[in-house]
Amino acid sequence: MKRKGLLIIVALLLLLTTACGGSGGGESAKGSGDEPVTLRIAWWGSDKRHEYTQQVIDLYKKDHPNVKIDVEYASFDDYWKKLAPQAAANQLPDIMQMDISYISQYAQNGQLADLTSLLNSTIQVGDVAESVLKTGVIQEKQYGIPTGVNVLGYQYVPEMAQKAGVEIPASWTWDEYKEIAKKAGGNGFYFDSSMAADIFFNYYLRTKGLSLYNKEGTALGYDDDQLFIDFFGGLADVMKAGGAPTPDVNSQTKGILEESQIVKGKQVGEWQWSNQYVALQQVVNKPMKMAAMFGPDMEKGIYMQPTMYWSVASSSKVKEEAAKFIDFYTNNVEANKLIKGERGVPISAKIKDAVASELNEATKQVFDFVAEMEPKASPMSPPPPVGSPEVIATLTDYVEQINFGKMTPQDGAAKFRSDANSILSNNK
Amino acid sequence: MTGYAFISPFIIGFLAFTLIPMFVSLYLSFTSYNLFTPPRWVGLDNFEKMFTADPKYWNSVKVTFLYVVIGVPFRLMFALFIAMLLNTKSRMVGTYRTLYYLPSIIGGSVAVSIMWRNIFSNEGVINTLLGALGAQPVQWFGDPNAALVMLIALSVWQFGSSMLIFLAGLKNIPYEMYEASSVDGAGPVRKFFSITLPLLSPIILFNLIMQTISAFMTFVPAYIISKGEGGPMDGTMLYSLYLFRQAFMFNNMGYASAMAWVMLIMIAILTAVLFMTSKFWVFYETERGR
Repeated sequence: MKRKGLLIIVALLLLLTTACGGSGGGESAKGSGDEPVTLRIAWWGSDKRHEYTQQVIDLYKKDHPNVKIDVEYASFDDYWKKLAPQAAANQLPDIMQMDISYISQYAQNGQLADLTSLLNSTIQVGDVAESVLKTGVIQEKQYGIPTGVNVLGYQYVPEMAQKAGVEIPASWTWDEYKEIAKKAGGNGFYFDSSMAADIFFNYYLRTKGLSLYNKEGTALGYDDDQLFIDFFGGLADVMKAGGAPTPDVNSQTKGILEESQIVKGKQVGEWQWSNQYVALQQVVNKPMKMAAMFGPDMEKGIYMQPTMYWSVASSSKVKEEAAKFIDFYTNNVEANKLIKGERGVPISAKIKDAVASELNEATKQVFDFVAEMEPKASPMSPPPPVGSPEVIATLTDYVEQINFGKMTPQDGAAKFRSDANSILSNNK
Repeated sequence: MTGYAFISPFIIGFLAFTLIPMFVSLYLSFTSYNLFTPPRWVGLDNFEKMFTADPKYWNSVKVTFLYVVIGVPFRLMFALFIAMLLNTKSRMVGTYRTLYYLPSIIGGSVAVSIMWRNIFSNEGVINTLLGALGAQPVQWFGDPNAALVMLIALSVWQFGSSMLIFLAGLKNIPYEMYEASSVDGAGPVRKFFSITLPLLSPIILFNLIMQTISAFMTFVPAYIISKGEGGPMDGTMLYSLYLFRQAFMFNNMGYASAMAWVMLIMIAILTAVLFMTSKFWVFYETERGR
């Protein structure tokens, strides 16, 4: 009887081990023309993005019947929650969408494959501007291929600007912006919903020839706290004058485009990335325009930002095959007719021209705006260092307290400096 | 032996998903671990940072204690009140019991938290009601204290499970007692304090401890209502939400493990304290009233 029980336990244990060991098929390391290959692709985004990405994948599978593709997608927050444990378990997807604020962390910890040797052999980048491609380089290695480029701007509804009694000039300064926004506030309209703290503070610093992080990513990249005080103090003043909704109104509608003040007809425009324009215009459903960033020295401030990257996991057994897909995404005309610049304006000049005729009005505006800004833009600062998500959360916290009037900009500046530097000092 | 074979799925599951992970997290709490590079032993650094250099941590402890200390008593009072109402012999009472229990079934869910957000929004139902009553509308998302009140209200509203347990307890009180006290001339208030409460006290203790533990670990409502950020100004930054942010947003797994163990110890101490006080107010029939 005892022996029988033991046997059952052993049998169960065996069953368990085989069940666990069943993953990870024996793919060949080469992945030549027609052997069966399985690729895992992961990305974050909206339903619209999931839809067309699936269509692009189906298109790819039509051309490559030997390739099987498993997809994993999620919202931005959930995506990173899933990816980190996968990295710890050495089970990252072959191809991942990478965000600029995380790529350093993944690259420097050896999670991503260096694609330098595959450029112009598997991944054709002959039509891509050097400066754009360089944004995916960390410590001399190509860890990411940008999916497209973005540029900052002010996206607004001209009809609303008229109602609010303001005019958006072709070029403006920081001081003029504050004047105009306060004027709109005085007339009972929000001018914007304030600005994303980390992105626009970094822009403001760039116009002064500085940046949020130093080159090595070991400390903040500016020494004068007055810059912090001027920028965030200025935004808080605009808010006080009614030029932007108070933080509690903002927090209620955060992430729900349909409920935002601009859709309700109470707000003139938004400061954001160019690839967010199309979605906003669709929901607002009125003619919209894009204006350049405020100066002075706007040219120093703006840069072509990779919307996101495609990266390949260093643990992938089918890097060559993964690169083939990235090449397809970057250089295939049919695929890009489905993508329609949703992940930023295509990086290949040839593709940009090929799909231009197929675009709807809003997307065309984005392409034109990016084309207009490209010659003026300066090189991007290095990607944010390891620990930047925590620095950004800290900054957002203090800015919130400043906007609520619970903290002076002076205190916020000093506190942010000490917190951020203690987080970043781990990178030394 | 055959018996062990049959319960082995549970044993294996318990080892693989509970016991071993617990000890791993105990080890991790003494390390600096970001999921990418191997854990680095740092001794008591995490605990030192927690207690001396992290104001956000203390804020989360404060918020959680407020949530527990205010929320749990209100929840129990409410549950007892409704249980007394439902402890009658009218028809339809079954329907009402079901209705009152519903919020708790759907309680921890995302949908309820989203609904709660909308009820309390600036133009929401609550502010409309306040306006109708001539009071000033409250900016529930603009003030840390108001946001916490909103969370506590949500937890009070989900009183169903403790209500059912109270109901069972009330059914156990012999009707003769009430009859006898009526003969002695006791009114309803006197009956409540002299009969119902003492005889119900063991049940109250049970509910108090269970609810305290679960309130301590509350996560979903705070996560949804504040969109994962614990705002406004960390007013809804409950302990478990802060732990989650440290673990999965900043990848500070070592620090988060240390937080989890401190939380375990806190809950253990609190439970012990509740048990110790119980001998002063919990009445067991076998003790013949001390």
